[in-house]
Amino acid sequence: MRLELQKITKQFPGVLANDRISISVDKGQVLGLLGENGAGKTTLMNILSGLYRPDSGKILIDGKERIFRDPAQAIDAGIGMVHQHFMLVPVFDVTESVVLGNEPTKGPLGSFDRATARAQVVELSKKHGLHVDPDAKIESLPVGVRQRVEILKALYRKSDILVLDEPSAVLTPQETEELFEIIRGLAKGGTSVIFITHKLNEVIAVADKITVLRRGAVAGETTPKKATAAKLAEMMVGREVQLTVSRSKSKVAEPILQVKGLNVLNDAGGLAVNSATFEVRSGEILAVAGVQGNGQTELVEALTGLRLVDSGTVVLEKKPLHAGSPREIAMAGVAHIPEDRNRDGMVKGMTIAENYILNTYHLPQYSKNGLLNRKAIAAATEQAVKDFDVRTPSINTDIASLSGGNQQKVIVAREFSRNVRLVIAAQPTRGLDVGSIEYIHRRIVEQRDAGAAVLIVSTELDEVLALGDRVAVMYEGRIVGILDAKEATRERVGLLMGGITK
Amino acid sequence: MTNKKKPVAAARAKTITTAPAKRSTPVGDGADAQQQLVASRVRAGLFALFTLLSLAITNGSAGVEGKFAFWVDKIGGTDVSFSVPVVLLWVAVTAGFGAMAALQFVRGASFRWRLAIGLISPFLVFALLARLLDGTTANLTVFFTSTLLYTVPVGIGALAGIVSERSGILNISVEGKLLFGAMIGSIASSITGIAIAGPIAGAIFGALVSLFFAWLGIRYKVDQIIAGTVINIGALGVTTFAYLRILQPYSEFNRPIGITPIQIPFLSDIPVLGPILFSLSPFFYIAVGLVLFFTYMIYRTRWGLRLRAAGEQPNAAGTVGIDVVKLRYRAMLIAGLLAGFAGSYISLSGTGGFGINTSAGQGFIALAAVIFGAWNPVYAFGAALIFGMTSAATTLLSGLGVTIPPQILLSMPYIVTIIVVAGLIGRVRAPASAGRPYDQG
Repeated sequence: MRLELQKITKQFPGVLANDRISISVDKGQVLGLLGENGAGKTTLMNILSGLYRPDSGKILIDGKERIFRDPAQAIDAGIGMVHQHFMLVPVFDVTESVVLGNEPTKGPLGSFDRATARAQVVELSKKHGLHVDPDAKIESLPVGVRQRVEILKALYRKSDILVLDEPSAVLTPQETEELFEIIRGLAKGGTSVIFITHKLNEVIAVADKITVLRRGAVAGETTPKKATAAKLAEMMVGREVQLTVSRSKSKVAEPILQVKGLNVLNDAGGLAVNSATFEVRSGEILAVAGVQGNGQTELVEALTGLRLVDSGTVVLEKKPLHAGSPREIAMAGVAHIPEDRNRDGMVKGMTIAENYILNTYHLPQYSKNGLLNRKAIAAATEQAVKDFDVRTPSINTDIASLSGGNQQKVIVAREFSRNVRLVIAAQPTRGLDVGSIEYIHRRIVEQRDAGAAVLIVSTELDEVLALGDRVAVMYEGRIVGILDAKEATRERVGLLMGGITK
Repeated sequence: MTNKKKPVAAARAKTITTAPAKRSTPVGDGADAQQQLVASRVRAGLFALFTLLSLAITNGSAGVEGKFAFWVDKIGGTDVSFSVPVVLLWVAVTAGFGAMAALQFVRGASFRWRLAIGLISPFLVFALLARLLDGTTANLTVFFTSTLLYTVPVGIGALAGIVSERSGILNISVEGKLLFGAMIGSIASSITGIAIAGPIAGAIFGALVSLFFAWLGIRYKVDQIIAGTVINIGALGVTTFAYLRILQPYSEFNRPIGITPIQIPFLSDIPVLGPILFSLSPFFYIAVGLVLFFTYMIYRTRWGLRLRAAGEQPNAAGTVGIDVVKLRYRAMLIAGLLAGFAGSYISLSGTGGFGINTSAGQGFIALAAVIFGAWNPVYAFGAALIFGMTSAATTLLSGLGVTIPPQILLSMPYIVTIIVVAGLIGRVRAPASAGRPYDQG
């Protein structure tokens, strides 16, 4: 089927999320929809899947106008969504998950006809080469297989148009390659595919046609043959972008952080970090790669004092830190850019100035006898806002009203305001626009050049490869390999991320 | 190594509603196994403790004779009595607990401890009863029938809780609905003079209260705990006021046509068992029927599949075209009908009609049964039976003039619930999204 969106416009209070967007995809074609966070991709897909109604504009399927009032109507029209965050019930099995919403039934009470459902799922997965065990519980399946279940869900509903929203975010490079194979196969069979992503390499690899969105509008259309990564990035951001971080060679000196046999438990009491041993030296960046949920979060929390160390030692310049409180660790010279800035990075509802002194308010320059020195705080914050180019009307603005990029700059400014010996940055650029990403990266490299040790944890392979002087890979709580930047190729790191150590 | 407990780490400790979806990696699965092992050790220890306790009681009950009687043909008819040395009962209980401790320790997580507790509880209550009676004769026909009858409001109330929580609405307002159901049932029955009008009116009013609650929680996303508390306190206030101002001065409004026990043909003639099992209030048989019906509906039908999906992962249901909001309203309607119906039993099965706070916390016991029964209607009904037995024992003891503080037995369901909820002896998994408002789109 041919799908066409004509001049779709959607206004939210204060934001024009979609501004006369027109895209189209033909039968058997793969459309790559490229854009940064906040470019309007998700809004457009929510309109297409019937969750939002557009303010104006038309949706045409095979030339006929369709109006979707709810998700059921979009599904009926043949549109299948695979959401970025999987829409699966963890305690259901594969069969139940696939047929939910269109269950075969029998009898007067609407009894669920499991045998028929199971047979349908088996047949479908055979036909499309999507191998899953129909009786496996969703929660026991690895992420890549869950994604196959999501695709099966769409196919079960006879979707002719498959929309995949950032499908590679949770996959290893090898799993991503498998996904591309599946997409190519489906396209060959006549399914139209819309592939939404912010990763340039992926659209070039899999799409037949590329549409780039920027600030809610179409910034351009091209094909993978004509496009280069640099050109696509420029279309996406609106100006020339440096895709690689420019940095000098690292001047590595003495080790600053030494971690030996570190074991950390997760919330459920299981081993999340399994005897991690590594060191980070002055003047180098150690980038920790790995698919989300392999113990990186717990590692960072343990290093920053937010989580109990079960056993093992953490030493910062000869000073043991594994029993330190977050404040002791921060005061010892550790800067922490947390993974989830909304939860651990700032207090929404408090001003920029208050957030700026969040972990230094007790120092004599900011408070005496339990009273805050407002003047000194304001002066320091004003200076930081200027230095870090935070775009805000005032330092007394609620931090919640800033954009993600500016919030992150406030956090980075705060963390770098102390004497920094070690930077621990977890997902420092998640959800930021390209401009802010460049800026944050530059600031981190600056710290390295000034002689600090830097530990970056990222699930974005591009970020890891761009920044790491050495690359460590975590898999199921273990550090399965530490590679020098020279050896750290996409393939090698990718294999390690999947737990394959040769 | 450090032993310092950090507040942040403590705050992140899981609660029972933690969404398991987020722990997707094998790391999490290993953790689960380890946690289960710890929990099973705790259980084994707990059972061992109970073995020792019951051994101590066994020691102290030498020479005490437990005297029991049954009515053979009907309540108040010919009776047959027998006596057992209390020591014997306690030896059996001690052995039971000992076996449980041993099996739990050997089999670890695979031991079906919930079932074991369910099996030993009746014996424990029974043995306690015999010990406390201290030689007074107790009529067991009365004891067993009142056990079954106490189970009715708790069992149906638990069903109401299960249906709503499986759909994703945390329903702590069962108590309030019981009270309203009891009052409206009594009034409707008194005014119309038709027996069946009571339960019907009670159910309908329960449904209205439930829909109001759902409207607050779904439409306005009011915190469901707060909304439920408001309804419980409001129900107590409104019904007490109505009782003092209307039902007391105009007592013709509070003289319901009682719903009397029925004799099931043939079966009620079975000696000993007949009077206990087959001559009860029709409410009891309806309760059993409802439990079986909803068990089938929840686990075996399309409705049940969608209900569970909405309670676990409403987004998963919403994105495949299921109208989660409508589904939750409907579930709350059913829950209200059930709770109101259960309430009407309280005022219609006895003689006194409606009285102040006549539900006396049975709605909360129902919620305890929901948790202990792991959101499964049959298990929850089993838990309700055990709770019913403790109530029956308390009544029997006070009726015979045995003076022990009845609060001890009455507090048992709550203590058990706290232990279960705390996850000390094994985690029960609540519907992952119960209590969380659903945002469409």
